Amino acid sequence: MNSAQIEIQLIASLVAIACAIPGTFLVLRKMAMISDAISHSILPGIVIGFFITQDLNSPLLILLAAFTGVITVVLVEYIQKTGLVKEDTAIGLVFPALFSIGVILIAKNANDVHLDIDAVLLGELAFAPFDRLLIANVDVGPKSLWIIGSILLITLSLLIAFFKELKVSTFDAGLAASLGFSPAIIHYGLMSVASVTTVGAFDAVGAILVVALMIAPAATAYLLTTNLKKMLGLAIGFGVLSAISGYWFAHWLDASIAGSITTMLGLLFLMVYLFAPSKGVIAVLYREKQQRTEVSLLTFLLHLKNHDEAEERHVNHLREHINWQKVRAKTVLELALKNNMIVVEKNIVSLTEKGDTFTSKAIDYIITNRDAQIEDMKDDFFLFRG
Amino acid sequence: MDIQDYFSLVFSDYTLRTITLGTAILGAVTGMLGSFAVLRKQSLLGDAISHAALPGIAIAFLITGAKDTNVLLLGALVSGLIGTFWIRGIVKKTHLKSDTALGLILSLFFGFGMLLLTFIQKQPNANQAGLDKYLFGQAATLVESDVWLMAIVTGFCLFVLLLFWKEFKLLLFDADYTKTLGFNTTFIDILITSFIVLAIVLGLQTVGVVLMSAMLLAPAAAARQWTNSLSTMVILAALFGAFSGVFGTAISASQNNLSTGPVIVLVAAVFVIFSFIFSPGRGLLFKKIRFIKNRRDLELHKTLAFMHHIAATHEDISHPHAIKLLNNFQGYTRATLQKLVEKDYVRLEGNLWCLTETGFETAANLYTKQSTKDE
Repeated sequence: MNSAQIEIQLIASLVAIACAIPGTFLVLRKMAMISDAISHSILPGIVIGFFITQDLNSPLLILLAAFTGVITVVLVEYIQKTGLVKEDTAIGLVFPALFSIGVILIAKNANDVHLDIDAVLLGELAFAPFDRLLIANVDVGPKSLWIIGSILLITLSLLIAFFKELKVSTFDAGLAASLGFSPAIIHYGLMSVASVTTVGAFDAVGAILVVALMIAPAATAYLLTTNLKKMLGLAIGFGVLSAISGYWFAHWLDASIAGSITTMLGLLFLMVYLFAPSKGVIAVLYREKQQRTEVSLLTFLLHLKNHDEAEERHVNHLREHINWQKVRAKTVLELALKNNMIVVEKNIVSLTEKGDTFTSKAIDYIITNRDAQIEDMKDDFFLFRG
Repeated sequence: MDIQDYFSLVFSDYTLRTITLGTAILGAVTGMLGSFAVLRKQSLLGDAISHAALPGIAIAFLITGAKDTNVLLLGALVSGLIGTFWIRGIVKKTHLKSDTALGLILSLFFGFGMLLLTFIQKQPNANQAGLDKYLFGQAATLVESDVWLMAIVTGFCLFVLLLFWKEFKLLLFDADYTKTLGFNTTFIDILITSFIVLAIVLGLQTVGVVLMSAMLLAPAAAARQWTNSLSTMVILAALFGAFSGVFGTAISASQNNLSTGPVIVLVAAVFVIFSFIFSPGRGLLFKKIRFIKNRRDLELHKTLAFMHHIAATHEDISHPHAIKLLNNFQGYTRATLQKLVEKDYVRLEGNLWCLTETGFETAANLYTKQSTKDE
């Protein structure tokens, strides 16, 4: 591993951390798409800044671009407030218009300058180590490292300073307002941090892929925990993990680093989406299946309780009567047998004493809907949990 | 070339005619289907799908190794649909909200697409040049067969739309009711979503990934302001979309270095701004005017109520009052009081104002109504 490789991985990891922090709050505040809007609409800000300074790393450019980002948020909120369209439509109207202005500005004026849309939108991390910051002719490292490092430092100090305010206003804006912190200031503060981060990261990973680094780690973490601090930690961890593994994946494939970081994020999300212990798709599907079986079991027991006649309780008749598929009827029958709720004698099903008590209690619960009736059943019966 | 030249050339010049027709058809079909996206609160779906289509384009190229538009669009369609259904899956099966799901699929698919594109660029195959036109779109690359494809797809969309019009409409405004009526809502839902994906994929080549979402939204959002009827809205949106396409192409053709996609989007944005301000029912301008008028009416009624209040303590209803007296208490202007004269509620006697018979009755009614409302 040579020094350029270490530098690239360091920059990628810092970008990932700097994005994961505001990203977590955006995901929790249901404003994930705002980051997408900002990432597009900073384009005119970058272009105008570039025309003024002729330098892609100038602080003015970052400020102007961040300002455009905040303007986007303000415009979206203004349009939304007129009540003419819904919030999502407002977002969808604002950013393509601003983006178009940026594209046209580049096309009209930037024929002979080094700025093209691909560079802004897609970025190229591999070139970052070549653009070095010189202080008094001493090489102190790549420029992007310093830019993203300072942005991360600001983000971190703001996070530590306003953690409580951020937390309260994210989960209960009304409470935050009544406690005296203005939700508007927190809101615009967060938006500013998100814009500055987007701009700071654009020449490393590109504006569009910043969105991936903001949303994906936070969303992945949200599937694993509901604790804010843990979520932040996990999001940062996922971000750094994908940044480093993504770099080596790109190295192996000889393809875009940003693209492969995003792909890694995608794979991570897919894994967690499928296999997360309680919120993953497989766990959810399993739970739904279990619930269905247990509802069926209850229906079956109730039917038995209501009918004393032998023909109503014949195994085959139940199948016709309750209209279950063969397999499902078998599962339910076996579940009931296993729990000693029923006995089967010569294909005639009858309730055991335990099954009878259980069913009475269940009826009681359904009729009165009082939790106390089933306290002791909760443990062995999923249906009544939660 | 200026705009006039453009319009004279449109009918004779093959390239210009193809591009204009293409963008017009594209605008019409996106406007039409966009109406459903906007009303279903799926506005940002367009943004997500257009990004999610990128890996499909790249994979289709990797498999076939050829740059046949139809094959690439098919790839885009497949990957757009996968993205859409994954978004649904995330929203349905986890507690992540739809905005997170949209942003997630959008950025992850796009990033994966970028990875594939850069991977393709490194391949020893000279054929790959121009794949990135799908990122930003190049209307100039449209050829007659593309326009035919668009026209056929649009015709097909229109046919299905008319066939299932009732179902679409019902689902749009009351999904639960539609279900209780026995319609297969999942099927209708998938049908309309697939058409939205199809429209987006069609537009990729012309306006590109990033601007496609605006094409889907802007005409529909503009049309929404002028009407409350779905059919009118769909027709209007199609018209707005088609006009954005034509004007956008005209403007971009009349200048150098002006890419068509962004110009079309900006023209559509102008339609939106104009509709937001000037539409009679919902527009900001008329809303403001109505607001001012209402406030004036309210002030007028307050004056009348006040005069009635004074008159009620006098024997003679039309006992004249100096304007000064009214002014002192309520600060009403001469102009406001003049309105009352016009309505024959008040008579002017020199510098003094007195309530007429009509005025007294109206005011009394007003007063009664107010007091009954208070109880």
